[in-house]
Amino acid sequence: MRKALITGITGQDGAYLAEFLLKKGYEVHGIKRRASLFNTDRIDHLYQDPHESERTFLLHYGDLTDSTNLIRIIQQVQPDEIYNLAAQSHVKVSFETPEYTANADALGALRLLEAIRILGLEKKTRFYQASTSELYGLVRETPQNEQTPFYPRSPYAVAKLYAYWITVNYREAYGLFGCNGILFNHESPLRGETFVTRKITRGLARIKLGFQNVLFLGNLDGKRDWGHARDYVELMWLMLQQKKPKDYVIATGRQFSVREFVSVAGQELGFDIRWEGEGVEEKGYDKKTDRCIVAVDPRYFRPTEVDALLGDSSLAREELGWEPKISFEEMIAEMVAHDLREAERDLLCRREGFFVPNGIE
Amino acid sequence: MGKTALIFGISGQDGSYLSRLLLTKGYRVAGSSRDAQMSRFSNLIHLGIRDQVEVQSASLNDFRSVLQVLKKVRPDEVYNLAGQSSVGLSFDQPVESFESISIGTLNLLEAIRFLEAPIKIYNAGSSECFGNTDGHPADELTPFRPRSPYAVAKAAAFWQMANYREAYGLFACSGLLFNHESPLRPQRFVTRKIVTAACRIAAGMNEKLELGNISVERDWGWAPEYVEAMWLMLQQDNPDDYVIATGETNRLEDFVDGVFTSLGLNWREHVRTTRDLLRPTDILTVRANPGKAARELGWKARNKMRDVARMMVKEEKATFESR
Repeated sequence: MRKALITGITGQDGAYLAEFLLKKGYEVHGIKRRASLFNTDRIDHLYQDPHESERTFLLHYGDLTDSTNLIRIIQQVQPDEIYNLAAQSHVKVSFETPEYTANADALGALRLLEAIRILGLEKKTRFYQASTSELYGLVRETPQNEQTPFYPRSPYAVAKLYAYWITVNYREAYGLFGCNGILFNHESPLRGETFVTRKITRGLARIKLGFQNVLFLGNLDGKRDWGHARDYVELMWLMLQQKKPKDYVIATGRQFSVREFVSVAGQELGFDIRWEGEGVEEKGYDKKTDRCIVAVDPRYFRPTEVDALLGDSSLAREELGWEPKISFEEMIAEMVAHDLREAERDLLCRREGFFVPNGIE
Repeated sequence: MGKTALIFGISGQDGSYLSRLLLTKGYRVAGSSRDAQMSRFSNLIHLGIRDQVEVQSASLNDFRSVLQVLKKVRPDEVYNLAGQSSVGLSFDQPVESFESISIGTLNLLEAIRFLEAPIKIYNAGSSECFGNTDGHPADELTPFRPRSPYAVAKAAAFWQMANYREAYGLFACSGLLFNHESPLRPQRFVTRKIVTAACRIAAGMNEKLELGNISVERDWGWAPEYVEAMWLMLQQDNPDDYVIATGETNRLEDFVDGVFTSLGLNWREHVRTTRDLLRPTDILTVRANPGKAARELGWKARNKMRDVARMMVKEEKATFESR
């Protein structure tokens, strides 16, 4: 049985990838950080009781900032494939925690590569590094492909730049099978609630049910290439099944602004949003009730913004035969439906007298 | 009142030449070394300026230490020349390379932000960031393609500088310096190794000089000139990044020839190449376009590779004969 080790298994991509690999017949090992609260809600449906024999889904406590811990886990598991999805993954937060971001995102990748070498697994273990379209930052050309030079615009992007190049270097220097997937934004109902897409679908659903009045956002003009995470994890696996290791851009090739995302999500909930004003004064009104439901809060602006990203994934489409299956509109519909259902559950709880935390940030 | 400069990595080649330059410009010069009491500062002594600079202990990996030395010295200009500086060594110490180069730069930038003082900062970038440019001369817009843990860490530090300049308006400049040599280069650098061995051979020692790939091509300049470019960057109206190089590319073999010829020797009789000294990944050719530095800083390299070889030999011979 082939074995895969996933760092960041409790995250959006980790959960989808684990599910995907289990279906492919892998024994899946995941690394999760120790926390005093449960943090496994995205993978609880995959959980197997430790008392069962022949388990195919196993979790290990670990941390990308701890070298010896990583070496020990990799030594025990002897994985055929490692997917490094763990990171401090929030761009805005990285401006506040630049050193931690560098430690986890940049050195974390290096520690894994070193662990593979130290254990003499260069010929056995293949390595996938989660790289990001944020590397392109202040873009030098549009659309962006594998040849487009990087221009990182945040401590997060700089740390990821290090991880990208150190993966390339270990491939070239030591013949390690290491690949970077340069993934453009990928969303889903499992996306963290503080990321803009999920904040929008969740916020609008809660406005719909009366939990919240206004959705506050940062830069509405930001344009991104948004795909569905479930489509993208397949690519991670495909890259590691090729004859030669290579880096690939993964994107839909379609671009929408944050404002457009809000409008489409609003339509799913029966809001017809009219936009008025400019810059920090811009507001979104529900045409039916003439109520302001979207506003700008400069606190969500970043010291340096990434204005527009658009990916060209021709290489992946040609060489890996990959196509995104889920459209922008379908993805938003799925996210809205999920968040509306959660809001309905909360409403039910509240009506029955149970406390419901609001969880707004 | 003259300005104050704080140099991280003052005990190295560039730190020492930069100290000398800034002293002649009337600066108060302070510098740091990881352990100032244990360091011999032999380069500063060599240049005869050891007693003119204040030295402090500081480790760039330690935020408290960086903050403390900035508060104590209160510099107008900071030059970050510290950090693991060997490409070869970075393959054996990749984590240390990242921590000293990249986390170090980050600590310095964060400390300057924290102090909210108008401190200008120069960071030592590296031509190693460019990797193989397929014969194209690298300028400030050439994409990076780093080929060693050292170069990857330097690339991260370069972008940290750019990001803090753009995000917070810091006066932050990176110099992308191509190889710059001098008699103060440590022995593990190939130029100094060649010069030292050639001088010993010229003095009658029976030995062979072992080298790795001598067909690699580099742009070699004279370090005492390069530190002028660092200073010039911080005297401009706006902070920016600059490529600093001679603009002339030569093979390592040509440098070897330059050194041995100036000693009246034929290098082919004394050099042996070995695979043991090859790096896991190496850069074959570098080419540089220092046009922007010439246009905007008025800086141009006066000494080219042959001059560098000749001057290094001259100084090495003098030390050798005085022993």
